Amino acid sequence: MEPVTSMRVTVTVNGESHEREVAARRLLVHFLRDDLDLTGTHVGCDTGNCGACTVLVNGAAVKSCMLLAVQAHGASIETVESLAPANGGLHPLQQAFSDRHALQCGYCTPGMLMSAKHLLDHNPEPTENEIRRAIQGNICRCTGYVNIVEAIAAAAKGEVSA
Amino acid sequence: MLLSEVGYARPTSVDEAVRLLAENDGARALAGGQTIVNVMKARAAAPDVLVDLADLAELRTIAATADGGLDLGALATYAQMITSAEVKAARPLIADVAAQIADVQVRNRGTVGGNVCSNDPTNHLPPLFVAMGAAMTLVGPDGERTVRAEEFFLGVYMTAVGPGELLTRIVVPPAGEARDGFDAVTIGADGTCIVNAAVTEAGGQARIVLGCVAATPVLLTAAADEDSVREAVRGADLDPPSDLHGTAEYRRHLAEVVAARALAAAREGS
Amino acid sequence: MTTTAPEQVEAPQKGFAGESIPRKEDRRLVQGQGVFFDDVKRHGMGYVHFVRSPYAHAGIVSIDVSAAEAVEGVYGTLIGEEVAALTDPFFEMSTPPGNEIRDYALAVGKVRFAGEPVAAVVAETRELARDAAELVEVEYEPLEPVVDAVAALEPGAPVLHEEAGTNVVWSGTFEWGDYDEALAEADRIVRIDRLYFHRFSSTPLECAGALVEYDRGTEQWTLHCNHQMPGIGIVWMAPALRVGTDKLRIVTQDIGGGFGNKITLHPYFVALCLLARKLHRPVQWTEWRTDQHTANTHGNERTFLDVEVPVRSDGTMLGFKVKAVDDAGAFPRYEPLGCIIWAQVTPGCYRWRHVRVDFTQACTNKSPTAPNRGYSRMQQLWFTERVIDVVASELGLDPVEVRKRNYIRADEMPYETPNGCVYDSGDYARCLDIALDLVGYDSLEERRRDAESRGKLLGLGIGSTLDSGTNNFGQSQLLNPELQFSGNNEVATVRLDIFGEIVVTLGTTPQGQSHETVASQVVADLLGVTPNDVHVRAGHDSYWNSHAGFSGTYASQFAVTGLEAVRGATLALADQIRRLAAIILGAGGPDDIVLEESMAKRRDMPEAALPFMACGAIINVNNAGLPPELDDVTLNCRYVYRPPFEVPDIERKFGNLTLTYATQIHACVVEVDPETGVYEIVDYAAVDDCGTRIHPQIVEGQVHGATAHALGAAMFETFPYDENGMLLASNFYDYHVPHALDMPPLKTGFIESPSPFSSLGTKGMGEGGGAGIHAVCAALQDALRPVGSPIVTESHNPYHRVWELIRDPAASRAGIEVSGA
Repeated sequence: MEPVTSMRVTVTVNGESHEREVAARRLLVHFLRDDLDLTGTHVGCDTGNCGACTVLVNGAAVKSCMLLAVQAHGASIETVESLAPANGGLHPLQQAFSDRHALQCGYCTPGMLMSAKHLLDHNPEPTENEIRRAIQGNICRCTGYVNIVEAIAAAAKGEVSA
Repeated sequence: MLLSEVGYARPTSVDEAVRLLAENDGARALAGGQTIVNVMKARAAAPDVLVDLADLAELRTIAATADGGLDLGALATYAQMITSAEVKAARPLIADVAAQIADVQVRNRGTVGGNVCSNDPTNHLPPLFVAMGAAMTLVGPDGERTVRAEEFFLGVYMTAVGPGELLTRIVVPPAGEARDGFDAVTIGADGTCIVNAAVTEAGGQARIVLGCVAATPVLLTAAADEDSVREAVRGADLDPPSDLHGTAEYRRHLAEVVAARALAAAREGS
Repeated sequence: MTTTAPEQVEAPQKGFAGESIPRKEDRRLVQGQGVFFDDVKRHGMGYVHFVRSPYAHAGIVSIDVSAAEAVEGVYGTLIGEEVAALTDPFFEMSTPPGNEIRDYALAVGKVRFAGEPVAAVVAETRELARDAAELVEVEYEPLEPVVDAVAALEPGAPVLHEEAGTNVVWSGTFEWGDYDEALAEADRIVRIDRLYFHRFSSTPLECAGALVEYDRGTEQWTLHCNHQMPGIGIVWMAPALRVGTDKLRIVTQDIGGGFGNKITLHPYFVALCLLARKLHRPVQWTEWRTDQHTANTHGNERTFLDVEVPVRSDGTMLGFKVKAVDDAGAFPRYEPLGCIIWAQVTPGCYRWRHVRVDFTQACTNKSPTAPNRGYSRMQQLWFTERVIDVVASELGLDPVEVRKRNYIRADEMPYETPNGCVYDSGDYARCLDIALDLVGYDSLEERRRDAESRGKLLGLGIGSTLDSGTNNFGQSQLLNPELQFSGNNEVATVRLDIFGEIVVTLGTTPQGQSHETVASQVVADLLGVTPNDVHVRAGHDSYWNSHAGFSGTYASQFAVTGLEAVRGATLALADQIRRLAAIILGAGGPDDIVLEESMAKRRDMPEAALPFMACGAIINVNNAGLPPELDDVTLNCRYVYRPPFEVPDIERKFGNLTLTYATQIHACVVEVDPETGVYEIVDYAAVDDCGTRIHPQIVEGQVHGATAHALGAAMFETFPYDENGMLLASNFYDYHVPHALDMPPLKTGFIESPSPFSSLGTKGMGEGGGAGIHAVCAALQDALRPVGSPIVTESHNPYHRVWELIRDPAASRAGIEVSGA
């Protein structure tokens, strides 16, 4: 094999398969936002600190700004757009965030929700400290995290409005 | 920001990876990408080729060695090390320290090999492996060789990994009688280290390794008591950097304190 | 986290105001369906990358874009020379010679801060624009930079703006009361050589940017962007572009945080407008995080020199004298307004009457400043809090008692400050008591001893602050009598649609402050509907004339200006509905009609009711035969709220500068590790009073966020520069903002002192006022008393500074002096 500067990638995103020719240097976050028009995942920094770009890759929370799209070839990706069920309701985490005013400007929210989902997928009864550790890689400048932590705890317990 | 144009290859064997690294002058290994992708975004470095190691499953294993030590594949992630029964049994401090690195997303991708090969002076694992007396296995066009941790770190971002070579394993000796401790002062919780120290003490002697105070981890030895450790640090004639997080003087002072606390942590047992 | 319920000041409101209803904004935002400007795409759009100066101060010798332009996929470029030919410099607000400063969209002739944009490259993809930018060759002639405002004022300092011939942006003195008399009356004089408020910013998570289209037919630009004060943005941009204001259409929908850092985006936006017109295609620029830190905006740094405080022995503070030097960075953009805005809170929370301030603002080779959250008042309030703490410390008095002795009292409200501002309402002492109770003040000494047994030093600090809201822009005339700005305004339109839907358009540009939700609560209560019946348009669009000169979301005013506009428009609509219904239902007059359950009903015969849907249908599509007295009933009501302001007295610099004053009193308990200077906040309470709370959960969320910003600034966040003018914290590694594990347990409490100056009793409260900074400084100073009583003189106290204070307390005390009068 020889190195290539672009390649055809097949990725499953939110259950749907996509095939695209993509430059090797293209970041996964830009592939999702610009090539697949999934603009829910956001960019907030350029050094991998803020977590606004967090998605699940093969079930694990990762920062999609530190992954090349070509690395995701063959992977299964979940973005915020996958959370709400098809019937028009909201995922319990989404509902809990709204119930508890865990978002103000909403820019960090998609990444925050994916980190929260990763947590609850692996740890259905997290302590407060575990919740904070789970979102430690997601910066929010609006809420001070107070209500975000409460929302995740509420979602874990199923304390979510209908 | 955004990467320059780059070539990409995803080998399916270590041999192929080594070949690609050897044949392409500006090639770099891509493990977790938690450092190199940022470096490339900032265009502080622009490798011509990225050799993605993702398919090299054999480098992802964590196993116990016959003598009760630890054999870490270079691609083992921080997350893997944190939940590994083998790590917990052999050298649990590795898991505790890995759990302090950044955040969940970074720990899901970042690898032990990437951490030591990037050798940022503020990294957690280089001092830890030097203290524990680990050994790095390198595979290259001329075959396999082993480099002791204390000889592995050569300069800021520079290690003994030569052109065309790949770090494949980090072998950590069994603890035996030794006890390990680690302490750090960081920028915020689980943030970048301002100063850190790893101490492994055995038989009344302490191996003290200081991070963040020089281009590479600083190894000192002393009797395993607080006063001796502090004196050894003071006597090391450190010349740490000054930046917005602390003056050289502050870092020199912190080095003493974290070394003493790492010793105390070792004694309390992990 | 606990919240203390207050004793009610007034009976709770009926209806939706006062309830924490579900937020309208949430549905789209939690699904990632918000529309932030970078989400908007246009066919054929080009992506912009700016070439930026690596030098803090340098002449531009030449720029060669030919290599960049030759790259396939590059659509074009823009350089300063073109900008200077096609635009006029941005309008400057200062008096001569500060008004001679020339500020353009790109550097013209020289660069004045590292990161200043020098050229722009537009290409087919983001990556290509970035690549091509590296091919632009700029030759510079480095000049000596000046990075300290005090140094910039010294003779011989490098001058940034030759046209002005000085680094002074603005300078003036303020004198109220009789300071000499205060000196004579004092028992003691406390002097502090220097207090320093540092440079930081709120770093909204979404960076700045815009997608700009140019319509060649109408010669109008449309900017899909995140400008948070579009009314004034257009005032800066239009004359620069030499067009009428109607040629600029600013469209915002969702904005990922603003905090004042998205007010002065006009230089970048003008560059984009020129590119869109030049290249005949839409152009899009998304700021990089590194660029936001280096080349967007920072908050004002302020140095307070030669502070002098006459006091009585019992701690009564009579007045203060200070020389303040403010650092505006390389270009005054919203400045020099910061030179007067602090005067909204001249005395802070205190009753001193005699003030003498010498205020100078200087340019330095650093990022230009902008009204960062708490703008200019936070710096002044920090100053007063430091002063009272130092006074307490040096006179051996209890910081709680000294505050209570000096606080303006509830029974003195409305209170006229020494310079004629009117504090509308508040009860600082009561808020303080609640805060102290929340942090267990009574058990403080016990906790101190417990901390000591663990080798730690424990301290308690209080931070009192005010959030002055709804500016009177006439204060600008106190800086420059030639300026033609005064008063304030905000617009809302409320319409009853053909099917009975109620549609509201706001002039504001929320970045998380929940305007859609809160507006719907007010409308619902006035029309007798539910918030679900009220559709509030997301975002701002200047094309539809729903804005006024001061429209936007800034300066803690929505709860007054926005809601008064909404209220005014809704009352007008309600009146129209009643008039229409009275005629249709044969009632005597509009007073005989009540609005409830989405219907207009006859008061005497409620079964005679006209559903809103019917009203909408009649006026819009079924209006034949309506009597002439209904000619003006359109069911589409626009209202411009104008707060009751006068132009202040320019001579005395006296008058009301803001309409409302929200209070926040914080209490902070820290534990310090004396060996390392590392400290932890172990208990924290924030008590707020913003008058009537329309949506308590939203108010509390703002308090949480303001606290996080303040704690970040106090402990971690700073934008320091080296002597070459290089910013040392250009990313989130070095500029550490609070993450989830950094936040202490946060307790909140509240009281409601309704404002007598707003119809709903509300007060703007979105900025907060930085109480966390004041409280942390105070807590550290208290904690370190046993180790030599160092004095905290800086707003930013990272671990290494705390260690320095412990190591050499005498150094920090060297600038403190107490003398008998």
